[in-house]
Formats: sequence, structure tokens, C-alpha cells
Amino acid sequence: MAAIEFQGVSKIYPDGTRAVDSLDLTINEGEFMVLVGPSGCGKTTALRMVAGLEEISEGALLIGGHVVNDVSSKERDIAMVFQNYALYPHMTVAANLGFGLKLRKLSRDEVRSRVQRAAATLGLEPYLHRKPGALSGGQRQRVAMGRAIVREPRAYLMDEPLSNLDAKLRVQVRAEIQKIQRTLGVTTIYVTHDQTEAMTMGDRIAVMSDGALQQVDTPEQVYRRPANRFVAGFIGSPAMNIVNARLTRVNGNLIVRFGEHSLEIDDEVLAERPALLAYEGKSVILGVRPEDLEDVAFAPGGSNERTIVTVCTLRETLGSEVLVHFPLAEPAQDATDAGELIEPLGDASSIFVARVHPETKVREGESLRLAVDTRRLHFFEPESGLAIYGDDDAAASRNGRERVQLQPASGLGS
Amino acid sequence: MIRRSRRSVSTGHALISPADWRRPGVRWGLGGAQVLLLVGLVVIGLGPLLWLAKSAITPTLDTLSHPMALFPHGAAWNNLREAWTNVHVGRYFWNTVALAIGSWLSQIVIATTAGFALSVLRPKYAAVINALLLTTLFVPAVVLLVPLYIEIVHPPFIHHSFIDSYWAIWLPAGASAFNVVVVKRFFDNLPREIFEAARIDGAGPFRLFVAVVLPMSRPILGVVSVFAVLASWKDFLWPLLVLTNPDRQPLSVRLPNIQSQTELGVFLAALLIASLVPIIGFLVFQRSFLRGTGLGGALKG
Ligand SMILES: Nc1ncnc2c1ncn2[C@@H]1O[C@H](COP(=O)(O)OP(=O)(O)OP(=O)(O)O)[C@@H](O)[C@H]1O
Ligand SMILES: [Mg+2]
Repeated sequence: MAAIEFQGVSKIYPDGTRAVDSLDLTINEGEFMVLVGPSGCGKTTALRMVAGLEEISEGALLIGGHVVNDVSSKERDIAMVFQNYALYPHMTVAANLGFGLKLRKLSRDEVRSRVQRAAATLGLEPYLHRKPGALSGGQRQRVAMGRAIVREPRAYLMDEPLSNLDAKLRVQVRAEIQKIQRTLGVTTIYVTHDQTEAMTMGDRIAVMSDGALQQVDTPEQVYRRPANRFVAGFIGSPAMNIVNARLTRVNGNLIVRFGEHSLEIDDEVLAERPALLAYEGKSVILGVRPEDLEDVAFAPGGSNERTIVTVCTLRETLGSEVLVHFPLAEPAQDATDAGELIEPLGDASSIFVARVHPETKVREGESLRLAVDTRRLHFFEPESGLAIYGDDDAAASRNGRERVQLQPASGLGS
Repeated sequence: MIRRSRRSVSTGHALISPADWRRPGVRWGLGGAQVLLLVGLVVIGLGPLLWLAKSAITPTLDTLSHPMALFPHGAAWNNLREAWTNVHVGRYFWNTVALAIGSWLSQIVIATTAGFALSVLRPKYAAVINALLLTTLFVPAVVLLVPLYIEIVHPPFIHHSFIDSYWAIWLPAGASAFNVVVVKRFFDNLPREIFEAARIDGAGPFRLFVAVVLPMSRPILGVVSVFAVLASWKDFLWPLLVLTNPDRQPLSVRLPNIQSQTELGVFLAALLIASLVPIIGFLVFQRSFLRGTGLGGALKG
């Protein structure tokens, strides 16, 4: 058990690819840190640097307070679950699990009992004498997990360890991993694509994009107060609706206009985001989470200033909720406005998604009135993509030690 | 081979489906053709061997007077015993075995360790060594004969000639760039993640080599072994050059020598003994090197 600390760590591959770009991140002792980001953003690379499989091009990596840049994998005493299992094909499951223990000179009885325990935890007992070739994908993945948990290392590194399991097994193993991690208190870095895994498992989430850290915070904070447009669009499913908008003042009230719609901004929002006042008469990027839109029939008491009227183009019934897709009409008519747009975000074709009550009556092609929870609107600076909060941008992440990468996120999906 | 074809018929992926097989025309026509083909192959492949076996235990006189007859005056098992003891085929046989085992060992050890160093450990200068290795493949073996001979007579540092010592055979056998290249190629294709997993599990280079890389390389070890043993078994020129003492020479060198002084039946018995080992060896080990790579389940997809 030990803290892991990245201090300005970069990885530059021989071909010049900057897979990880001056990463500053501390994983506290015993903490469960989830690393998320789109494919190719450098998650595996970061993990491999901790494992000692990849040389560190710049910066320092500390495990347990010691710089380990030049320490071999073996001496770092960590366990890793590989994205593609990497089981020993010529060994039985039992031998696969026990290999690392045997190398660490544990007694034969100790090895056997630990292997038994891990196998029981992961439901692998019936397969202990099989070779990996005779296992299903999910069973192999559990062997790969087991190889990590039999050892009691200083840290677990897990690279999408559940990606091949079916939904039921995934929930089961997910809970199991959390339980093991809590009881052993082993520092863990867990890479995943899965929103649910990220939100439910981590003590904190680190969001990466293009090799750079975007935000580190607790799951709730990352969701509620995304540091920038990238994090806002990446965390949450369905993704946050993002559109170019403009702040104006009408009759003394601050109004945000986007497409042919406009919404009133509450004082509550302004209290939370005092910096917003400075954007009066300027362009901003507006973000609305699908669950903050609701069919008016199920949101009584909504005023016209907090409602948008549109047409439903697609209805997806998911049982516990209904997803309604609707287009935003042509953006603000005056040409000057369009000229100021930095990136074409909210064009006529852009589609919003609302997550509404399962009993909604709305059907495709019909008009739709949606109440907007205006207290939960998100605003981003158009050029940098940074979220607009108070004067103190660092408040975006309440975590004093982690620096939020102040740079525009690119390649946004909306 | 037979197993494979039978399986493919039964799984229905063959050119002719099981249903087709049930039609009499197909059954008799194709079945007959198959039988003929098989018999033909057996006669061509096995015929000379069986003929040799038969002649080896037939009295010389019978072989000469009725070459086509099958044991007109009984078998002469004595030929075998005579060849083994009186003609000393037994001794030459063990010489050959010793040479083959030593050559095999030196080839395997050098090919695998060199392949491991170049493919898995990959020091910075590996690329240079690799290129040098490949260039030696372009030099024909015959060209090397004289320099190699001089090297064996006056080895560097040791100042003791290797002539008449088995080291003269074993050491040059190991210096096979071909083996190193073949083994390195195979190692290159093993999944890196497995080696990385072993390193994280706490395996040093030696452990990695012995406990992970070698067991995963059985197919290529089989191939190299078969080549090594066969090449050593039938090598004639080099042992003739460096082993001058007849008592230490292998079968391949001795057999032509003893032919003139030996009765035909006994000589044929000697030939049979000489050819049996490679054949039996092939039968025993064929499965291990004709088998697939055996990497099932190591990685996903
Ligand atoms: N050996 C290498 N040489 C050059 N570039 C590499 C190498 N390995 C990875 N990269 C590049 O580094 C970047 C980060 O790769 P990495 O494997 O860390 O992504 P990832 O976040 O794990 O993605 P995924 O979620 O798809 O697994 C990618 O752009 C990739 O192309
Ligand atoms: Mg990856």
C-alpha cells in the first residue's frame, strides 16, 4: 500500500507521439482512482509507466514517496491486469494464479491456500486445472483479475478488467473488486470506458483527453461541476447537450438564447457562477444535461421562461425512462452572431436529447414542451472551453493538490 | 495428417459433404480413387524401407540368387547381430548418437538463448547483430569449410587442436545463424504482454526464459530439434574431415568404408540399423512439432 504520484510525467514514444503530456496526479494511499477518457488518450500508457513497462520520458513518478523512474517492475511490487489478459498459455489456471507467489518465495501451502481463496472469490474453482485455451473470454478475464488479487501488492493497476464480461457478471465482479479493494486497502488505478464503472467505483475520477489531464475530483463533483466542456460532454450518459448561446438582458433579467429558444437564468445560478455576469451580451457555450429537461406534464409549476417548445423527432423507450430527441432550429438570426462563433456547435442540425418521465405521451413528429431545470444549466467559455464559475477558476476542482489542466479540449462530441 | 482429413470430413467442411458420401456413385468412385492413391503412396514411401528391412534379415546368398523372393530359406536374424558386434556398427551407432545429441544440445542452447536476447531482451545493439546474422546466411557452407577447418585445428585462445574430439562437431553445429533467425522470428511473434505480466509477477530474465518463453516455444523447439538431429545424423563431409580415428567416427562416415569388406547381408543389416533411429524418432516426435503453436487463450481476440 502506497501513494502513487505523477509529477509532470510525460511519455513521448520514439515516433514522436506524446501519449501522456505532463501529467500531475496523486493517488492517495488506499484510494480507488478511476482513469477515464476516450480511446487513445493515453490511459494504458500512464498505467504502463506506473508498472515500469514503459520508460518515463519526462517528470518523476513516485510510489510510496520514492522516485521509481529507474526501478524495475519487479521491485515496484505492483500487480497489473492487462487489457487483453496476457495469461500464461502453457500453465493451468492454478499455476497462472500462483506464478507470482512462487517467484516471491512463498511456501507451497501458502501459495495453495491463497490461490484457493482467489479462485473462490472469482468463481474459478471448477477451472483451476484447465489451461487458458479451454476457458471462455469472461473466465480468462477473471483469471487475469485473480492473478492480481492473489498477491498483496502495493498497488493494483487495472486496464479495463471487466470489458469482456456479460452485464450480470460485470456487476458481480465490480462489487467484488470494490470489496477486495476496500478490505485490503490497496491503492488502485482503474482504467475504464464504462460510465457506470467510473461513477460507482472510484473514490475519485481522473478524466484524460489527448494525453492531458482534464479534471480530477469525486464522481459527484465531476458530474455536477465539470471543469470544462470536454469533461461535461464525456461524463454522463446520454451526453450533455452542448450548444452555442448568447447572454442578453431583457427587462432586467439575464436570458440565455440558443437556437430559437431562450431561457431565463435564476439568481441561484448567478450566485453559483458570479463570473457569468461578465458575459452579458457575449457568446457562451450552454450545456444542458438530458435529465434536466422534463416533459411539462410531469414538471408542474414551470413558467414559460423556463420552457422550450419543440418537435420530437425520435423517442427511445428504455423502460425506466424515455429519451426524446429534438432538433434546435436555426441559431440566432443576426449574421454578426454567427460570425463570432468559434466552433460550429449549435447548428440547425444539432440534436438535443431529453430524458423524460417514462409515462410521457409524446410521440415522434408531435410538438413537445419541455421544462428546463434552469438551476442546473452549465456555461462554458467559448474560446477555452473552460467552465464559467466564480472568479476563482480553481474552484472548479475543490481538490487543492490537483491542478486542472487549463487548456481547451478538442474533439468534442455533442 | 490422416487425423486432420478425417476430422474435416466429419465436420462437414470438406469439399465433399457427408451427405454426398452416402451416394453410391460418389462412395465407390471416389472411395476407390482414394484407396488407390493411398496404396500408391505407401508403396513409394514405405516400399524401399521394407525392402531394406527384408533384405537385412535374408541370407546374402538368397538375396543374390532370388532377389524378389520372400525368405526362400528362412530369415537370417544373425545378420543384425553380426553387423552390431563384428562390424562394430554398434560402436559407430553410439558415436552417431553422441554426436547427434551434442549437436542438438548446442544448437538448441545457442539458438534459444540468442533468440531470447535478440527478441525479448533487445539490447540497443540487437539490430546490428541481427543484420550481421542475416548476412552470414548468404555465405554458402562450402565456402566456410576451409576457414572452419583451420579454426578447429588452431582454435583461438585454447591452443589445443579439436581434431578427433567431438567438440569439433558440436561447437560448429551451434554456430547456426539459420536456427537463431528462425527461433528469433518465433519469439518475435509471442505476445509481449505475457512477458510483461511475468516481469510484473517478479520474474527476472532467467525465469522469464525458462518458465515462460521456453514452454511457449515447444513447436519451434521441435522443428529445430528435428532439423538438428537429422542434419547431424546424415552429415558426412565434416565428420570425415575432423574425426580421423575410425573408432570415433559416426555411421555416415564408416558405412561407405566398411562396404567393401563386409558381406552384403550384414551390410544391409547395418544400413537398416543406421536408418531406424531417424524413422523411429520422427514417429515418436511428429506430434510435438506438427502441432499448432499452442498459444490458445493467452490473449483476448
Ligand atoms: N508503442 C507506441 N508507439 C507510438 N505510439 C504509441 C505506442 N503505444 C501507444 N501509442 C499511442 O499513444 C496514444 C495513447 O495510447 P494508449 O494505449 O495509452 O491509449 P488508451 O487511452 O489506453 O486507449 P484505449 O482506451 O483504446 O485502450 C495513442 O495515440 C497511441 O496511438
Ligand atoms: Mg488502453
